[in-house]
Amino acid sequence: MTFRWPPIVTRSAALAFVVCVAALAVAPVALGFSVYTKNLVTLAFLMISGALAWNWMGGFVGQVSFGHAAMFGVGGFVAGRLMLMEPPAPAPLAWLAGGLVAGIFSLGAHPMLRLRGPYFSIATIGVGEASRLIFTYWEGFTGGSSGLSLPIDADMKDRLYWWGLGLAALVVAASYLIRRSTLGLQLLAIKADVEAAADVGVNETFYQDLVFALSATVVGLTGGLYAAYFSFIEPGDMFGFDRSIAFVLMSVIGGVGTVLGPVLGAIVFVLLRQFLLASYPQLYLGLYGVLLIFIILFEPLGLTGLALRLARFVRRRGEPRESLA
Amino acid sequence: MLLAGLYATMAYGLGLIYGVLRVVNLAHGGVIMAGAYLGWVLHGSLGLDPYLSIPLVVGVTFLLGVIMYRLLVRHLPRGAAGGPASLLLLFGVWLVLRNAAYLLFSGNDQTIRTAYSTRALPLFGSFVSVNRLAVLGIAVVTPVLLHLLLRRTYLGRAIRAVAQNADSCTLVGIDVERIYTITFGIGTALAGLAGLLSATIFSFNPGFGSGELLKSFVVVVLGGLGSVFGTGLAALILAVVEVFAILVLPSYLTAAVGFVMLVLVLVLRPGGLFGQRVLG
Repeated sequence: MTFRWPPIVTRSAALAFVVCVAALAVAPVALGFSVYTKNLVTLAFLMISGALAWNWMGGFVGQVSFGHAAMFGVGGFVAGRLMLMEPPAPAPLAWLAGGLVAGIFSLGAHPMLRLRGPYFSIATIGVGEASRLIFTYWEGFTGGSSGLSLPIDADMKDRLYWWGLGLAALVVAASYLIRRSTLGLQLLAIKADVEAAADVGVNETFYQDLVFALSATVVGLTGGLYAAYFSFIEPGDMFGFDRSIAFVLMSVIGGVGTVLGPVLGAIVFVLLRQFLLASYPQLYLGLYGVLLIFIILFEPLGLTGLALRLARFVRRRGEPRESLA
Repeated sequence: MLLAGLYATMAYGLGLIYGVLRVVNLAHGGVIMAGAYLGWVLHGSLGLDPYLSIPLVVGVTFLLGVIMYRLLVRHLPRGAAGGPASLLLLFGVWLVLRNAAYLLFSGNDQTIRTAYSTRALPLFGSFVSVNRLAVLGIAVVTPVLLHLLLRRTYLGRAIRAVAQNADSCTLVGIDVERIYTITFGIGTALAGLAGLLSATIFSFNPGFGSGELLKSFVVVVLGGLGSVFGTGLAALILAVVEVFAILVLPSYLTAAVGFVMLVLVLVLRPGGLFGQRVLG
């Protein structure tokens, strides 16, 4: 495959991206973030990375996975175990290892990738739940239901903000490049019609494996950072079905298959969750359900679709009306 | 055998909806759970025997299905584009059902206990619970009724025709939308019935139904679509594998057997054991 630099990476887009990242990098110091705010933003960074990585598979290739928690958990626990070693592995190395193991783990899903649509989705539920049970049972590695406590000092926790920002920035850039490159077009072709894509020479098996492994690696990395963020991990949470759903929800809320969508979705998700868990813990599942129903019925592109519609509306209002007369 | 009967009943509901509408009803587990709670409420507040409440539960879950179809599923794009959308939509319905159950009944485990819950009959040298025998009986009768409905009535013929080719059905004057609505209702009613029957045997909570959904899916895929015989046999295979897994695996992992089987079946025999056949 020849990789052509996408013409769409304009100077202004790149500039906006760099400015955003730089602003976020100095924000905690410049604006004097409280520990609470800083932690919340860090969590948002992690969720952005996870949602975007899910979106590579669920949005670009169109294979909706309900089992991404499996990779999240594998990455988290591998990183956690490495940090618990004597002497402890440096955190970034542990995260990287977690991501790589998750990526390799995902290659085991190779035979599943020829399933399409609902069959694939249901199979991922099976894999996700089976991993949860197996890893909870494997106490020697995951600590069973009592989980693992990680030795994370305040200094590390403090720096996690920038690690999270770095990861999120990388993933946003990668999503953008994938979307706009020939690779992105090939994925789109697979999404539209696998057989037709194969007929025009898109190696659908290879690309699906590739994207799935990439997605798993990033989700595994995110899991590792998340483990450091909470400094306590437990298989029921890391591998839980709710976590798999969270990746789906964030992308759907923001807009499946877009780049900015999952970013927005993840931010909304984190804020909403924080607010709901504090005020209405008993409603929060149902609210997501209602949100999902409304988005699918009325605005399948989520917030992104809403924004596009708004932009069209504003533009139309701004135009002179003569053409109608 | 008992498990097989339950699995078959659940799977028919899922398979019927998929066979006719090409939609995987992810809310199936939610409806199963709703059926269980409905039976529990009727038993608890009105003192209605779970077996007498069958028509009521079936009726209510049928209506639930009709509402779900009319209000939501009908508006989805048909065909391949509807795939992910319908999954997510019905998944949302499931979340709402689960949350409603948490709000109404709290997250505690519940059971339906009747005077005969602990009674047993001697049968072939061992004792079998009366309750379980009754559940088995109903679970055997249901597929037969369903088979007769699909084979012998006008409605059944119409459903099978729509499953084969909805466009030509419109041409010969079948109200396709109405058939879709009824099919969805029958599918959810079967789920409700399965939920009610399970509730007389197992304890349940609002999270009940997710494992059941996956098991139904295993059975549907394994048995091939629409063949009553295939589904029954597939349900039996799943039940037998599960029971034997309890003997060789640590108890905690037996729950994973269903999931592993699901993946294996999907990967190895996506067409089912008996090949894929259109309904009937």
